Amino acid sequence: MNGHDGSQPTRRAFLQRAWNGFAALPVCHLLAGGDGAGRGAQVRHHAPRAKSVIFLYMDGGPSGHDLFDYKPRLVAEHGKPFPLPKEPTQFNDAGDTLGPCAKFAQRGASGQWISDLLPQLAGQADRLCVVRSMVADFSEHTNANYFLHTGHGLQGRPGMGAWIAYGLGCEADDLPAYVVLNGGLIPPGGIDCFHSSFLPAHSQGSVFQMRGDAVANIAPRERDPQRQRRKLQFGRALDEAARRRQGPEPAIDAAVANAELAFRMQAAVPELTSLRGESPALQAMYGCDDGYEPTRTFGRQCLLARRLVERGVRFVQLTCADTRHDRWDQHGDLPRGLADNCRMVDRPIAALLADLDARGLLDETIVLWGGEFGRTPFAQGGSGRDHNPFGFTMWMAGGGFRAGHSHGATDDYGYKAVVDPVTVHDLHATILWQLGIDHERMTYRFGGRDLRLTDVYGTVQRSLLA
Amino acid sequence: MASFLARAQWLAAVALTAATASAQVPPPVGADEFAQRRAAHWAWQPLREDGPPAAGHPVDAFVDHKLAAAGLRRAPPAPPHTQLRRLWFDLVGLPPTPAAVARFVADPSDAAWAREVDELLASVHHAERQARHWLDLVRYAETLGHEFDFEVPNAWRYRDYVIRACRDDVPFDQFLREHVAGDLLPVKRLGDGGADESVQATAAFWFVEQTHSPVDAGKHEADRVDNQIDVLGKAFLGLTIACARCHDHKFDAIRAADYYAFAGFVQSSRYVQAPLCPLDVQAAPFQRALSAQRQLAAAWAKAHGAAPEPTTAPLALRDGDRVVASAEDPTTGWFVVNDGFGPQPWRGPLCLDPAAAAPELRQLPGAFWHSAVAGRRREGTLSSPTFPLTARYVHVRAAGEHARLKVVVDGFHLVRAPIYGELHKGVGHPDAHWVTFDCGAWSGRQAFVQAIDQRAHDLADPERDRRAYPDEAWIAVQSVVLSPHAEPPPAAAEPPLPPHAWTEPPVAVAAALAALHDAEAALPVSPTLPAMADGSGRDVAVAVRGDHRRPGEPAPRRFLQALARDGAMATGPGSGRQQLADAMVTDGAPLVARVLVNRLWRQLFERGIVRSVDNLGALGDPPTHPELLDWLAADFLRHGWLQKRALRQLVTSATYRQDSARRADADASDPANLLLHRQNVQRLDAESVRDALLAISGRLDPTPFGPPIELAQETIIRARGRPERAGPIDGAGRRSIYLAVRRNFLPAMLLAFDLPTPFATVGMRNVSNVPAQSLTLANDPFVHEACARWANAVCADRALTGLEDRLAAAFTHAFARPPAADEVAACRDFLAGGGAVAWPDLLHGLVLAQEFLYLR
Repeated sequence: MNGHDGSQPTRRAFLQRAWNGFAALPVCHLLAGGDGAGRGAQVRHHAPRAKSVIFLYMDGGPSGHDLFDYKPRLVAEHGKPFPLPKEPTQFNDAGDTLGPCAKFAQRGASGQWISDLLPQLAGQADRLCVVRSMVADFSEHTNANYFLHTGHGLQGRPGMGAWIAYGLGCEADDLPAYVVLNGGLIPPGGIDCFHSSFLPAHSQGSVFQMRGDAVANIAPRERDPQRQRRKLQFGRALDEAARRRQGPEPAIDAAVANAELAFRMQAAVPELTSLRGESPALQAMYGCDDGYEPTRTFGRQCLLARRLVERGVRFVQLTCADTRHDRWDQHGDLPRGLADNCRMVDRPIAALLADLDARGLLDETIVLWGGEFGRTPFAQGGSGRDHNPFGFTMWMAGGGFRAGHSHGATDDYGYKAVVDPVTVHDLHATILWQLGIDHERMTYRFGGRDLRLTDVYGTVQRSLLA
Repeated sequence: MASFLARAQWLAAVALTAATASAQVPPPVGADEFAQRRAAHWAWQPLREDGPPAAGHPVDAFVDHKLAAAGLRRAPPAPPHTQLRRLWFDLVGLPPTPAAVARFVADPSDAAWAREVDELLASVHHAERQARHWLDLVRYAETLGHEFDFEVPNAWRYRDYVIRACRDDVPFDQFLREHVAGDLLPVKRLGDGGADESVQATAAFWFVEQTHSPVDAGKHEADRVDNQIDVLGKAFLGLTIACARCHDHKFDAIRAADYYAFAGFVQSSRYVQAPLCPLDVQAAPFQRALSAQRQLAAAWAKAHGAAPEPTTAPLALRDGDRVVASAEDPTTGWFVVNDGFGPQPWRGPLCLDPAAAAPELRQLPGAFWHSAVAGRRREGTLSSPTFPLTARYVHVRAAGEHARLKVVVDGFHLVRAPIYGELHKGVGHPDAHWVTFDCGAWSGRQAFVQAIDQRAHDLADPERDRRAYPDEAWIAVQSVVLSPHAEPPPAAAEPPLPPHAWTEPPVAVAAALAALHDAEAALPVSPTLPAMADGSGRDVAVAVRGDHRRPGEPAPRRFLQALARDGAMATGPGSGRQQLADAMVTDGAPLVARVLVNRLWRQLFERGIVRSVDNLGALGDPPTHPELLDWLAADFLRHGWLQKRALRQLVTSATYRQDSARRADADASDPANLLLHRQNVQRLDAESVRDALLAISGRLDPTPFGPPIELAQETIIRARGRPERAGPIDGAGRRSIYLAVRRNFLPAMLLAFDLPTPFATVGMRNVSNVPAQSLTLANDPFVHEACARWANAVCADRALTGLEDRLAAAFTHAFARPPAADEVAACRDFLAGGGAVAWPDLLHGLVLAQEFLYLR
């Protein structure tokens, strides 16, 4: 029997260990056996082109017809009966052809079409790889959200961020591999869009809030930091004593290592979220001082996204702030809703691209912009657009994607993708590819199946790559 | 390598879903291959009934035999306090009380152990613990998820049903029958207050995630049924039947026809809110209310010198009109749930409110199914048979107040705007009138009409946020007409009886009114819960490549071909679920028993004999101890399918009670401990962490059962469907199983410790290791509150005299053992330097030690 009164260390040794300092305990050897955030599964099927991803998630389904997908016929036939057969829609009041609510122009040397609603981003046109022929499988927000995030239309699969965190781990030793910067709106479907599901939990998206404490329970409740340190040291001393009595146990050693990470995060997260080290000029460039509150919030998110990838965080997702137009889901009053949403994201995103580039980070960071589907080219009610998964726009920048490039096309009305359609699975496959992962080979056994992000679909879209 | 890659590709193909069918579909499985698969895989075979290889405890005999063959020995017994802590958390999910520790450490004999086991198994806390394991298997949730996270009304009653079933050790075959066909069993199991326990199990079908306003209801139905079959197949049979949705199973002896046979059972059934305590409408109390109505009519006739003639109301049908259901036609197969509608349609006058200031007698023209035949308090749901929407309009002749009518298309019950608003209408007029539904958007789909008079809201009820339905609600339905005409058939020529009201009723009428009032008031009204009810029985066609838009050959309803003794199944006019349940516990018994005892084993030994507890098919893990698994399963069947007995058998083995410390020699030859040369170390699960903190701090409210406790406001994320109600930060001290399970708003603390998302069967939870766990234990206000309360209790306990006593009590609470000498000394030093908060801080330090979180 190896009772607790077996080989007893001296009281002196016990205390010495106890007071040696919590953070000073050696943990590297412990991490080796556990599932700490650091390592991931170390998937590397080929040399990676990019190291991290920033996903600018435009929750609700932004309208490509008014932003990127210029269709002269939509302008010309505005208000006339829509001539193509209509698929079933979410609401039953599909109307006439609805022209864009803003003027389009060709931008930059590449001549990409971008509307006047995104003036700052238009200045970055030559960095964008615009896919005008995205297709998805679902017309309903929640299913479409799950599908875009996890490659599966129902709740319960790991998101692409989780798959990437699982495959590649994190380069920072004091931050999680997958961070969601929550601007205020959690998309329909909830935090399951960011879930690790059956993957090891360290790959789960950690949701950072933009108000109050960024991470739940990140702030010690003890006013005197010594108090928490003493408790942790005391607990750790008990762990050490138990380890001597009972021998090492990898699961418990890994838990100790994780407690260490948590402790380091208590310092790292406030350091991350404090913008004191960033110049006022840079903060202004991101819109952190804008007169419009959603712009300030989203600007801060974009700046934090840069700080996160700088620190080696693998996947950063931004959710939108609340412009009080129900996300990008403009079923009515499209001009006003779009204008405010664009105002929220335009300056911060342009600044993010320029800033990443200035620091040499854009090349190794994939910036992805888009929503779960697009919108109909015909009106819903008077001035809205309904959901449309049959053809919509997303864009990428950096990370080895072709800059200043437009890919694919929708029909003359921007309704359905007709040239080089790109599926959500294709998108996933291509992003994984740039990170050094073959989407068909990164699998995880669950419920008797080897599952993957792309299910049984997806083709790497090499024409999108530089 | 090549074969591995090929296998991986096929594995992925199994996950093929309906919508896009660009991937390759494997070919159908021929008869020879099917027979070969069936013969080759262990789980399809009958149980081997070889006895244990040695005398003594049978579990030890099997385990020791394998250890010996590998040149290994089982570990010595764990220290008594370690054994006891493990037993308590395993059986009741709570830390042992200091008294229990003292008692067992003083007398760690086998007899004392057996006594301890029996006491714990008899406790309702054991039932709560066991029920939580089960809830993981049926993806238990109290909301539907998706965009608005609508509530499933009264879902929590199912949770209480499971706890009671565990408490009462309901034989597992009965438990299974109730889950598959509890609404149909000829003999219901009655519980407290005569409640029908059996029907309550069928709620498990309805914890499926559901989409609000899907564009394609047919696809929604196909996905819903997929999940229902997946859960049924995994939870009871340990099979991935749902893998055969798009094609014959890639590896198992399961055909697409098996999947669609199951789909037939599910799609021949309907969602309802069923009463826990239904009245027998043929029995005297109910009949007394009916005859009081008739006597009132007679008294009225006498007072006025003429009896009211029951009327008939032939419909003036036009070209293309088709009556799909009529209360006048005894051959219409209406489906009635709950007792409101009485035993048959009502014809004649009826008084809706005998206690009114001016009581009224009304008569509807012709026969109506009427939900107030025994008073307006009575509730019920009436559904028509299923019919294809071969014409655009559905006209329903109805009357009622505060009631609603729905057209359910493709089994889609979340009927509300957008898209489905047209299919859900209120009924608010006491005279007979037509309610017309324009079903043009659902041409050709399968539909039925449902009339609802019940307080519980429908799923996604448009009224749900506004008010509760009043007692005064009632509805009456005469006929359902499918028609190409937008206008309903012309009203019948014969005028109905004009309503008759009294301000001063004659004496005889007054007496009849009083009698009617008394008879109705004497009838209790039952609470309801989500349940299955039979609808029109029909076989479902095999969908080509899983695409519901491409129906192939119909698949007759029957049990799995690989297990069924008879090929066909006589399903009768209804869904046939009762016959399915019978087949599962007879032909399926060996597999069901293996799956169940393997789950119990997993609870106690950290991993199952078959590691993939939800998949005993060809892609699952092979059993480490096949002979033991079969013996346990056979023993389970021999002794009446009793779970408590099986658990007792396992925890009384030396294998369970052995030490968990690693030994270098054994570790080298059995590194994954597959042979069980020692116990496995386990982390406490989410509920145990929270419940232990409640228990040691003296905050635990042991009250069992009841409505869910809502989350504290500050812990709820801001998103759509956010609950309006909120609860206290400590959950009122209630055990975690009673916390609200809202799909989109799960409790953060429990999620941090791997509470599963309720989307599919989870027989083995993740055991993750993330910073959020440490941050929770270090900084969560709930933990701080618990430690402060705990410190108060320890310091205020007059029975504890002096520091050493107090430390012994605290350590025993946290670790089930007293502190060692060096730990006492360290505690002294800690307390000396800690000031006023020294005790709470010290106890918090114990919680932060891994010994709190792990079972050795």
